[in-house]
Amino acid sequence: MKRPLHPLTLWLWAILLAIGVVAADSASVALVVVGAAAIIVWVRADGSAWNKSFALALRVGALILVIRTVVGILIGVPIPGTTLFRIPILDLPSWMPGIRIGGAVTLERLSSSIHEGIIIATLLALFGAATSLTSPHKLLRVMPYFIYEIGITLVIAASLLPQIASSLRRIRTAQKLRGIELRGIRSLALPLLEESLTRSLQLAASMDSRGYGVSRKRSRYRPIRWKSEDSLVIALTAGLSIAMMISAG
Amino acid sequence: MIAFSNVSLIYPHSTKTILEDLSCEIAEGEMVLVMGETGSGKSSLLRLINGLVPHHTGGILAGDISVNGISTRSVKPGALAHLVGIVGQNPISGFVTDIVEEELAFGMEALNVPPETMRKRVEEVLDLLSLNSVRNRSISTLSGGEQQRVAIGAALVMHPRVLVLDEPTSALDPIAAEEVLSVLHRLVHDLSVTVIIAEHRLERVIQFVDRIIYIEGDGSTAIGSAEEILKNAELVPPIVRLARVLNLSEIGTSVRDVRRLTEDIRGREFLSEPTLPVERKPAINISHISISYEGHIALKTATATIGAGEIVAVMGRNGAGKSSLLHSIVGLLSPHSGNVLVNGIDPQTLQGAARRRAIGYVPQEPSDLLFKQSVEAECAQADHDNEIAPGSTFSLLNRLVPNIALSTHPHDLSEGQRLALVLSIVLSGNPEILILDEPTRGLDYRAKSLFIKALQEFASTFNRPVVIATHDVELVAELADRVLFLAEGEIVADGSTLDVLLSSPAFAPQVSKVMSPKPWLTVADVVNSLSSL
Repeated sequence: MKRPLHPLTLWLWAILLAIGVVAADSASVALVVVGAAAIIVWVRADGSAWNKSFALALRVGALILVIRTVVGILIGVPIPGTTLFRIPILDLPSWMPGIRIGGAVTLERLSSSIHEGIIIATLLALFGAATSLTSPHKLLRVMPYFIYEIGITLVIAASLLPQIASSLRRIRTAQKLRGIELRGIRSLALPLLEESLTRSLQLAASMDSRGYGVSRKRSRYRPIRWKSEDSLVIALTAGLSIAMMISAG
Repeated sequence: MIAFSNVSLIYPHSTKTILEDLSCEIAEGEMVLVMGETGSGKSSLLRLINGLVPHHTGGILAGDISVNGISTRSVKPGALAHLVGIVGQNPISGFVTDIVEEELAFGMEALNVPPETMRKRVEEVLDLLSLNSVRNRSISTLSGGEQQRVAIGAALVMHPRVLVLDEPTSALDPIAAEEVLSVLHRLVHDLSVTVIIAEHRLERVIQFVDRIIYIEGDGSTAIGSAEEILKNAELVPPIVRLARVLNLSEIGTSVRDVRRLTEDIRGREFLSEPTLPVERKPAINISHISISYEGHIALKTATATIGAGEIVAVMGRNGAGKSSLLHSIVGLLSPHSGNVLVNGIDPQTLQGAARRRAIGYVPQEPSDLLFKQSVEAECAQADHDNEIAPGSTFSLLNRLVPNIALSTHPHDLSEGQRLALVLSIVLSGNPEILILDEPTRGLDYRAKSLFIKALQEFASTFNRPVVIATHDVELVAELADRVLFLAEGEIVADGSTLDVLLSSPAFAPQVSKVMSPKPWLTVADVVNSLSSL
């Protein structure tokens, strides 16, 4: 088994890299960082449900990139340079000055939109990588006691989300098999709502009967300690991040 | 250990009395079974023991329940956590954390147990329940049997004096069920834990229990030894029905007892008529299908032909590939190789009304198909969808289970009623084949026999095939003509119900265990053979 790192280490790792990426402000650096993060996620994946959040973050990132590019083509201030193609300018009412939709699309304008999109997508991917490597359950275990109490509530809310997703899939397939293809949101929402409510009540009953909240103090089953590997990882990442800042000048 | 004194319970907005004037004492180290029809209040009785009823559910409670001298009235359920461990009907919805070890520790952390003690107890429980190999796994990746053991373990680490379990084996295959029950048996005998268990499949638990609390459904209860209660009860396991039809002097609860009483019957010679194989027109062709997902092989070149009018049971352990086989028959999964044809049509191409007419499918959670506010609306929707005369679906339902009020909300129905409703909706489409995935969880014997009758009628009147995946060997013995037995994604046995069930002791029904080596599976088989003499 891979030696587990402190949950905070992986979050700090992601934050430091994010700072570096923003400071370097270079699409190629950002793409290298995403690639590196992908390899680390792939190597360290432990098969828990949270591992999927990296792929999800990548997908959301790609979507943002597409939207940013499309918006960059349609709207924006004209940046002079090589004109790639021209789209007709939309006539806007006089009370909307300073905005232009359409017009000449220059290489510079396109590349700056794509560049910004990539930086945003990278930040998202790093956040996704951190969540997929440390489940929120683990992160909350190292939080101070008073946060833990609120945190456990959040964890329950969070653990309901994957459940809802899987119930939704199940209900949809069942209904498809009954030959119901288009019957609107009600036929999905009602069974789903009922099931989520029942589940939450059952979870609450289970926590209640297992003594949750009886004692003012909680003990910890397996205290998580900061190890030398953690310091090493943080030091290296910090160095990398500073190097990225310097390279940007 | 537990004392009920004059306990009565009624839920608000309900006219039905759940319990009336129940008084009994359960001693330390006793194993007590709670039985009764579906919806009769078994779960309520169990949850009274740690105060979840009425603290959590509401309801009007008269009388008093005390556990080890503590009245459940005076404290919240949490304050009894060190005394009473409770395992709910559906373990997955009671898990708080995501890793097995952490789940086991959760209760102790909440009670501020010192870390060293926690570590020791977790190790003990992991050993006791053979969970050591999965200790670091995410709970959602475990099989049903493992999850059930984690739930029991999470209750056991608290070292409770009382363990309460609500249908702990309903989702388990016969072998996993046996494992769980033998653990409980050991706890009772080695550690003198008091165990209260609710269960419908009496054949699984009856030999382990000391006493039975029988809930009649109208609030009254009967308490006594297994023999006393089962002598007059209506819901009885096959072994007791056997004793009744054979007019045995006493009723036994274990296979061993009844075997001793029936030696003379087994000693007789019977003429066995060779059963002629019936020529059936093939309806479902499954040829060499393989399915794998996430690097795990679900089906390996499975091949079978299911004929018209045939009732086929698909059996096997949890995770053997039963659902994958069913899903590929209904066209939900596309096989990586091989193909499935239902009456010559690829099921994946079916949609809408054509699908309803070709394939009737009852999923594992029947309520997934229900989304209206009343039974009436559901039935009307089915009539409308299938363009049949208004009221047809409801009259079908009435034949299955009489006396369902039209205005009832589908989720207020009992398990048996809800299954009947879904079945009549599916049957209203007059499907060419009928597929059912694990339909009898939570059904009592009466509901089950109605269900068996309905399926047999469907298969014989229309000469159409029925495929049913189930863990319930007694159901298979009563219902199926043929069994497909799956292991690790392969069809390892395919033959008549008699041959397949008799060849493996773990999957043998109770009557065949008693009557072995005679080839009888059900009480009806025994009666037929005796009368042909």
